[in-house]
Amino acid sequence: MANYYDIHDILMQDENVSTVFLHKANGAGFLDPSSEDNNVARGSVVDLPLWLAQDLVQRQIVHVKLPSCFNARVRKEVQADPACIDLRSKCPFYYEMGCKLVELNVDPTLGPYLLDTLRGRYKDLLCKALTATLTGNPKFVPLLTEEETRLFEAGRDSMKAFKKWRLQGPRLERAAILGRKRTRDPTPIWS
Amino acid sequence: MAGQGASEPALFTELEVEFMAEDESINIVPNVRMDTLNMICGDYGPFRPQIPVTVPLWLGIAMKKRSKCRIQPPDWMSVERLSEVLEMEREAPREFQPLPFHYVEIAKLLLDNAREDFENNYMVQSLLEDIKDVRWDKVEKGLKNLSGRTHAVKLKNISAMEVNRMRTFTVRALQSFFKHDNDDMMKQTPTDSDSQSTPSSSDRLPRRTLRPR
Amino acid sequence: MDSGNGSEDGTPWGRGDGQGDDDDNNRDWGLKDIPNDVEVLKRVWRNEKSAPEILAYESLLVERVQEQIANMEENILAAAESLDDMMLSIFEMDVNRLMFLLRAYLRVRLSKIDKFALHVMRTADLWDRLSPQEQEYASKFVDVLSKHMHDSVLGKLEKEYESMMKQAASSEENDMIVEPNLDTYVFCRSKTALGTFQLDDKGDETVDMMPNDLYILRYRPVRNLIETDRIELV
Repeated sequence: MANYYDIHDILMQDENVSTVFLHKANGAGFLDPSSEDNNVARGSVVDLPLWLAQDLVQRQIVHVKLPSCFNARVRKEVQADPACIDLRSKCPFYYEMGCKLVELNVDPTLGPYLLDTLRGRYKDLLCKALTATLTGNPKFVPLLTEEETRLFEAGRDSMKAFKKWRLQGPRLERAAILGRKRTRDPTPIWS
Repeated sequence: MAGQGASEPALFTELEVEFMAEDESINIVPNVRMDTLNMICGDYGPFRPQIPVTVPLWLGIAMKKRSKCRIQPPDWMSVERLSEVLEMEREAPREFQPLPFHYVEIAKLLLDNAREDFENNYMVQSLLEDIKDVRWDKVEKGLKNLSGRTHAVKLKNISAMEVNRMRTFTVRALQSFFKHDNDDMMKQTPTDSDSQSTPSSSDRLPRRTLRPR
Repeated sequence: MDSGNGSEDGTPWGRGDGQGDDDDNNRDWGLKDIPNDVEVLKRVWRNEKSAPEILAYESLLVERVQEQIANMEENILAAAESLDDMMLSIFEMDVNRLMFLLRAYLRVRLSKIDKFALHVMRTADLWDRLSPQEQEYASKFVDVLSKHMHDSVLGKLEKEYESMMKQAASSEENDMIVEPNLDTYVFCRSKTALGTFQLDDKGDETVDMMPNDLYILRYRPVRNLIETDRIELV
């Protein structure tokens, strides 16, 4: 079930997460800008891209900390007014990152929170997608995460295409004479 | 292979939906004489002046464009019938009224090409626009009610063009909710706070045997 | 003449669309019963376009359609002199419409092969759904793709990483092969009442499919209803 080539997945996994090293890591000092020798001390907090962090979790070398964009303060903000929050600036792959963190068992309450957030923003998103004017991007689009943007575009593009078809008048038909590429057989036989 | 996440074009274009609608039957009244047409899609005719005959929409329009016939407006496109439908659409806010599956496309093709064959064509057009609007409002309302994993949505009496218009958005929304609203995502039992378990089998990590440390 | 695929009272189903062409037996069809191949091909195309994975190749149908197109083109050619312009253009339209459907059907299948070539080749069930020509196309496509990947990137990596199917030789699965998303949602309807149909393993999710009503369902649980032609995708 690989999504190996999915660009959104690739970009999402490039986002950094904060990790705590459970063991000392010799020779891995390049990961930690604050290390003086070439090692990472046990207990160090290091920012790593998600693709690396999840591998190290699998080997039980690090523990991923819940990113700040999912902390209690932000959740409260979001729940107060889900539709108007700028989720994109918190993390453009807010939902995808969240799902990945749920998989890594970082926080069991994260899943329900993500669903609620989606629900809260969905209705608003729906309205806007179906009534969007055809020119340019409305000003709320920069507030949407990648997934939401795709949803929005799906709605908007469908409406656009339908309106275009509806306004199109009778189609021009190619004159029959132009379509006739066949040579004329002098002996007509209906079989 | 790559780029599957990018904004995909619609599954069926409006023109493709229209193409499928063009096989629907309509009645025409020819003003010429023509032998029976034995075509792959069926046999139609013979055509005699002033005798109504049933043909596929694409054929009727083609003949109309060449002024070889006039269109007999379908029963469902009369002002009386459409007014009834509009009223019932308004009165039953959670149902769609029965209409031909391709009513949007048929109406457009007929009114675009054979407007003069409809008496009160302005009224017919206006009623159709209202019907479309009322029905689309119902679609939007239904979409608004999605709020979690949905295993089935029933759309009785919806039409082809309405399906097409809502398709991409609806499918994506349903997929999003499906992704977020499932048992794996909702696990509430906190695990041992010191260790995070290995990812589940649906993960996209390269699965490999770990070398012993 | 009963011809279209919809009557005007709203029922979306025309006369017998027939059971497709998957029966080889010599049933004695009355002239009225023979399903119109245009209608069948249209439905087959719609199914194929809507389904995320490749469906079984309708070889008999395609053969018949090609034959009918060839015959008709011959007839048109032969009668070109004696028919008036309009009749000729009508016959051409009839042929063009069927050709469009045939090409569209073959094209959508090719695009699925392009997207999922490796997966199709490694899954016997899917490979069997391809026509001989499609199998040849898929093999050649994979060859060309492999060569390109190797020449441009993979050949320059360490031996352990040179596969197009596994990220590293130590990977347990072929984690680079793209598969279709069977959990997408499709619009479908059935001709007959299907009764209560279970959609998930636990039995919490069921749907009671009534004839001619449209339903939006997840593709995976209804896959074999499509294979067995009990529902169609719209």
